[in-house]
Amino acid sequence: MIINGVSYALAAVGAVFVVIGTIGILRFRDVYSRLQASGVSDNAGLGLILIALVVFAGWQSTDWRVLLLLLLLLITNPIATHSIAKSAFTSRHAGMEDPS
Amino acid sequence: MLAIEIAVAASLVVVLWRLYRGPTSWDRLLAYNAVSNRGILLLVLVGISEGRTVLLDVALVYGMLSFLGVVIVSQFLERGVRRL
Repeated sequence: MIINGVSYALAAVGAVFVVIGTIGILRFRDVYSRLQASGVSDNAGLGLILIALVVFAGWQSTDWRVLLLLLLLLITNPIATHSIAKSAFTSRHAGMEDPS
Repeated sequence: MLAIEIAVAASLVVVLWRLYRGPTSWDRLLAYNAVSNRGILLLVLVGISEGRTVLLDVALVYGMLSFLGVVIVSQFLERGVRRL
């Protein structure tokens, strides 16, 4: 019962992080600001909610897959954010036309 | 768990607005990355709470494919058609 309470608290904090990241993506005015809001808060929210699902209802047989997914997302998500930021920076500074 | 699923789904729908009208292409790419993250999160939440463990495998493959898509499109926008 205590474990389920801890799980609900972690998932609620993670959902708050996801909602804050959404507000940041929606309201910031620059690409780099939006990248910062998205990268930081999405990683925090994903990690907290997935850890909450691992903790939920004790140790189950499906928790290895959730941990594998968490490891995959923690590796690939900063790489994707860095790739978008590097692409935006070098394309802006190469004098290219904005391909929007 | 239902309230958290509703919050994640609502934030997915809200991020789609940035995908529809981002000023630059990198905004759309960033919104695509955020939408795929929230979709993975929603798949895992529904899969755990409904007891459908197949959705965890679907989320794993979807994570790999969305990462590949984001990296490929950002490299394409950086280097152009010729030196891809």
